[in-house]
Amino acid sequence: MLTIRAFDTEAGDRFADGEIPGFVHLYIGEEAVGVGTCAALEDDDYIASTHRGHGHCIAKGLDPKYMMAELYGRAEGYCNGKGGSMHIADVDAGMLGANGIVGAGPPMATGAALSIDYQDRDQVAVGFLGDGAVAQGQVHEAINLAATWDLPAIFVVENNHYGEGTPVEKQHNVDNLSDTAQAHDIPGLTVDGMDITAVAEAVGEARARARAGDGPTLVEAETYRYRGHYEGDEEPYRDDDEIERWQDRDAIDSFKRRLIDRGELTAEEFDDLEREVEAEIEAAVEFAQNADPPAPHEAYDDMFAETPPEIERFATAARTTTDGGERIEESRSSSEPRSDGGRSGGERR
Amino acid sequence: MTAQAERELETETETMTVREAVRQALREELERDEDVYLMGEDVGLFGGVLEVTSGLYDEFGAERVRDTPISEAGFMGAATGAAATGTRPVVELMFSDFAGVSMEQIMNQMAKMRYMFGGKAEMPVTVRTTEGGGMGAASQHSGTIHTWIAHFPGLKAVAPGTAASAKGLTKAAIRSNDPVFVFENKMIYEQEGAVPTDEEFTIPLGEAAVEREGEDVTVVATQRLVGESLQTAESLAETGVEAEVIDPRSLYPLDTETIVESVRKTGRLIVADESPLSYGTHAEIIARVQEEAFFSLDAPIQRVGTPDTHMPFSTPLEQEVLPDGDDVREAIERVT
Amino acid sequence: MPRVGLVVNPAAGRDIRRLTGGASVVDDYAKRRVADCVLEGLTAVADPPSVRLMPDRSGIADHVLAEAPDELEAEALEIPLERSAADTRRAAAQFREDGVDAVVVLGGDGTTRDVAVEIGSVPVVSVSTGTNNVVPSAVDGTVAGVAAALVATGTVPAADVVERHGRIEARAETPNGEKRLVALAAAEVSSRSFIGSRALLEPDDLVGGVVSRAHPGDIGLPAVAGALESVSPDDPGGVLLRLTDPEDAPRTARAALAPGVVATVGIESVERIGPDDPVRFAVPDGVVGADGERELELTDATVEFRVRADGPRLVDVDATLSAGSGAGAFALEAADGPPASED
Repeated sequence: MLTIRAFDTEAGDRFADGEIPGFVHLYIGEEAVGVGTCAALEDDDYIASTHRGHGHCIAKGLDPKYMMAELYGRAEGYCNGKGGSMHIADVDAGMLGANGIVGAGPPMATGAALSIDYQDRDQVAVGFLGDGAVAQGQVHEAINLAATWDLPAIFVVENNHYGEGTPVEKQHNVDNLSDTAQAHDIPGLTVDGMDITAVAEAVGEARARARAGDGPTLVEAETYRYRGHYEGDEEPYRDDDEIERWQDRDAIDSFKRRLIDRGELTAEEFDDLEREVEAEIEAAVEFAQNADPPAPHEAYDDMFAETPPEIERFATAARTTTDGGERIEESRSSSEPRSDGGRSGGERR
Repeated sequence: MTAQAERELETETETMTVREAVRQALREELERDEDVYLMGEDVGLFGGVLEVTSGLYDEFGAERVRDTPISEAGFMGAATGAAATGTRPVVELMFSDFAGVSMEQIMNQMAKMRYMFGGKAEMPVTVRTTEGGGMGAASQHSGTIHTWIAHFPGLKAVAPGTAASAKGLTKAAIRSNDPVFVFENKMIYEQEGAVPTDEEFTIPLGEAAVEREGEDVTVVATQRLVGESLQTAESLAETGVEAEVIDPRSLYPLDTETIVESVRKTGRLIVADESPLSYGTHAEIIARVQEEAFFSLDAPIQRVGTPDTHMPFSTPLEQEVLPDGDDVREAIERVT
Repeated sequence: MPRVGLVVNPAAGRDIRRLTGGASVVDDYAKRRVADCVLEGLTAVADPPSVRLMPDRSGIADHVLAEAPDELEAEALEIPLERSAADTRRAAAQFREDGVDAVVVLGGDGTTRDVAVEIGSVPVVSVSTGTNNVVPSAVDGTVAGVAAALVATGTVPAADVVERHGRIEARAETPNGEKRLVALAAAEVSSRSFIGSRALLEPDDLVGGVVSRAHPGDIGLPAVAGALESVSPDDPGGVLLRLTDPEDAPRTARAALAPGVVATVGIESVERIGPDDPVRFAVPDGVVGADGERELELTDATVEFRVRADGPRLVDVDATLSAGSGAGAFALEAADGPPASED
């Protein structure tokens, strides 16, 4: 949770500084959901994430260094600079990707659960979705399929109470989003998403059910995002009092207090931990800042397992014009169009 | 596979319909690889759309020939997730028009995952779907959308015109680690042809076939129009015009070289594809030919396709808009 | 005009017992319908009381007000909302301050407890739409409304048909100071370390506790106690239970520990305790629960329980209706008397 908060705080700052391009959606405030969920999973279980995916990545064990490099668009990022904040993935680590399409996680999780079930593997697949995504048709299709086939899937609804800038009650006629599970005849429950122990316990039970062959479960975790929908959001839709009320129940603070009360953590140890995490994130930023950008010709990599000539011709041309693949900073930052990679007509000789 | 090897494999053949050829391809791949399974609406007990998968449920069981709910977005998404996590789904989308319901899964997930993730996701998924008018199925069950798919980066598209290519392309699609759409024209399921029996027979994606050699005009035809163009070519031969008929088989990747080589020889090109003419498959083939063989052209290139309408229901209306061998003949006559 | 308060807890009945047990889901639509029934029930008396609803952000109260019978004066309370149990407590406090004559609560034990904390001596009709339902009754909303109307209008004197439910006070002494908790039917001690998903999940985790009532028809610890003792909700005092592994226990009991969960519980000791008698549990690492839900995380603590007699005044719905009938509340004379004979 600390790593996520530090990572996203830093990502927000670096975005504000203009170092990180594109969009960033921060997970600050919602840490207990991702961490609680992943704490209840085994290493080789799958998760399919959302556009607000940094927390899920870190909770699943991805390295902040390569995540930050991806946010910076570097070649050493998780996606070699092709994905950015909204598409960080590491399938081998069980992370099926952040996703820029609201509601895309559940079909992905159902698919992973289908593979698991088909090959009789001892895993589960979690599809994260936000409250807004509950209005998406594909979400219900995915839940229906998983439920009908008793697939080992878990759908975790992160109800942060706003779908983009619109409050949940203006987007759904159903108020308790876990009620939607009833339509699919699967268990649906609501837990306190600001309490990591609640989320972990619920997902743990859901995992046991999935592994027993009893099918999917929908877990709604009530939580709150402290930052805007994206960085730069003016937030006209809520007031400071509301934010403060949720911050009073902050997942990190409350868990810290409870651990200290239990004698399992001292305030000094917590401070050390926080410093350690901050150092790790600082190192990640430094790594990302100093990492090489991808060479232009890498734009043509990874379209297919088997690259067709249609793409190969551009790749070849780009490799030639970028000096044999050497990474050239100027070409990335330049607003001038790159030299033409054989795109114009005419017979090629 | 070398052309030599392909020819050797093709030596032993059996006559079967396009439907049987697709079914045989599915059967062989289900037998060859346990990670392969079929899924779609009524592919199981019911036998699939137009009975293509008939019998496979009895042979392979409900786990491997999976009936899905009528939920195109759901099962297309699940197939995408499954392909990324170690299995090889073969999806049947009953009618290509239904891609509309599942397009999000196709364009934003299936097509983009490998690329967005820097190569960290495999995507060995095959989508079989039916296309085309001619049976009075009207606008929502007769469309041709192969241009969309061939156009969209990250997807591969094949469209067999013969029984042999139906088998070879389907098998190649299933064995590919990329998402491949197989567009089956529903009017040629009964069309017979010699199909190689070898279980290793596949047609590499991106290889066109010269179905008939000729010196005077090149006809690039797809799907149903392959057979109709061949018939047209035979009848035109009596008038002294020898048409070369090429089935590209694979729309993306497209075998530009075989087509260009032919046009260099004939100097004339007809592109016949049952799809809307504007911004279409025809245009892509023509663009490539003029890029590579502009100075070899002796006459304006001709297109045969559907006008920019939907497929009407009533037979006279449907026949009006459907391209056929006569349209190909007229196109040839315009330029020879 | 007599007034009735109505609390519908939108969050009741959503916890993990839908997954781990057999608890049913009462969705908002169903709650709304029950609330509609309550309002309809209020019209059973000749001059129905007015009704005020706890507002919510789920739209339940809005819907119910829109559907309210024409002859009823109905409005929503004006209180700030937090989407938490605080809303229920705030509404109950407001009802008490406003001097309503009866309150109908739709929820489970948790909701009734939240109301009880603030409601003072206002008669409470508690209707089950929650999970752990020892205190609320499974009565139809309409009937509950009728009962509330009879009590609120004084057609049936409240004193005749309410019983004072007991409550249990827990006071924990911890290295970090004192912590308090109130339960209505049962205060449990669990060996689980964290509140987690709140519900008491594993029978093995139950160390013991105190109940203010005991009957095999209850759910949870009161059912365990009820296997051996019988204590009515308004009996003074309660039962202290200390549990152990059924394998080593001097005796065991089968009881419904949660909806859909019947388990064998090992009983180390069971004893009746008088009102206000303190009993203690040492909690080296565990959680104290209230009415089936884990509430208070404790380490190196001693927790002291006392059963108090001053819980909520709960309306006995059956008794109220019988009394109402006896008072002639439902048998109306035709307004102009029988039709006159023509001859």
